[in-house]
Amino acid sequence: MTEPARNSLDAQLAKLPRDISPPRNLWPGIARSIERGGLRGAHRRQPMAWAAAAAVAGACLASALTWAVLHGRPVAPIAPIMAAQPSYGDVTTARYVAARNSLEHAFQQRLPLLDPATRAKVEASLATIRKAHEDIRQALIAAPASPVLEQLWESTWQDEFDLYEHVVQATQPTMTRT
Amino acid sequence: MDTAQLLQPEAEMDAADAGAFVAGAIAGDSGAFEQLYRQFSPRIYGLCLRMTGQREAAEDCTQESFIAAWKALPRFEQRSRFSTWLHRIAVHTVLSRRRGLRNLYEIAEPATGLPEVSDPGSGSPPLDIEQAIANLPDGARHVLVLVGIYGYSHAEAAASLGIAEGTCKAQLHRARSLLTAALGLEEK
Repeated sequence: MTEPARNSLDAQLAKLPRDISPPRNLWPGIARSIERGGLRGAHRRQPMAWAAAAAVAGACLASALTWAVLHGRPVAPIAPIMAAQPSYGDVTTARYVAARNSLEHAFQQRLPLLDPATRAKVEASLATIRKAHEDIRQALIAAPASPVLEQLWESTWQDEFDLYEHVVQATQPTMTRT
Repeated sequence: MDTAQLLQPEAEMDAADAGAFVAGAIAGDSGAFEQLYRQFSPRIYGLCLRMTGQREAAEDCTQESFIAAWKALPRFEQRSRFSTWLHRIAVHTVLSRRRGLRNLYEIAEPATGLPEVSDPGSGSPPLDIEQAIANLPDGARHVLVLVGIYGYSHAEAAASLGIAEGTCKAQLHRARSLLTAALGLEEK
């Protein structure tokens, strides 16, 4: 992209209005929903918290199940990809996401190496974890500033990361003694 | 520049006018919440329209965002500005809705940007920039809208979209390149 083209595009983007009025009045639909909703806030917090907790419990169970299924398989010393594993403090850092993508790639390559029954259990666990992740994301819509939900959301990323790690470790080629 | 700075004009309204309405809405006054809707719906609808690229989807997302905000207001601790908080709800709503649609209908993202509409050699007139943005692939459009139009930092946009900051930058570059071609801005 040339400099004049970039500048011209920037100028056009800068002129775009950030506010656009909805073509019709959306308030009546919102008002109806609010009236139907009845109690809110503290009365809704508990079900939402329980839903999120249930989602995390499911994800943890799936992760534990995967570990149990894979436990006992020969596990080689930790590969370089594991050594590069970042801290889990912030799942949005580029370093974390890059490591996670790399691990997911390794996971996808190693998954066919598992026997069909184990593979099916791993895939089911992964689906559970992803469902939990999505459930918590939905809960975050209702409470976007909730530090608890943010933490739970991160923990499901961690569960997915752990599952990949278990599978990659369990399918490492065993080292030959010389 | 962070989102709070970007929303400065609204921030002023937050302090002067919206604060009372926010307090009223938290207390359960739907009339106060309606005032918040009147004040902030153009910004939220604009964001949703540009992120979805579809008018009806944008209307639905705007409604869902305000309904979600009403339900969540008792937990709004005012550590961030109301407008910033509402923005986050809207972005979550758009992304969740899109993910749901993808699961239901297996919507395929175009492999490359601006198919059928951006052929600088075809002699057809350049596209309107809004239409060109709507035609961008989802990933590129989301980043362009948040960073290029609404002033999010790459870190904020990456966190909101659940992608790496590097991916965010790459998507912005991709979006800009596709827009430049679609709008016929490159020198021939």
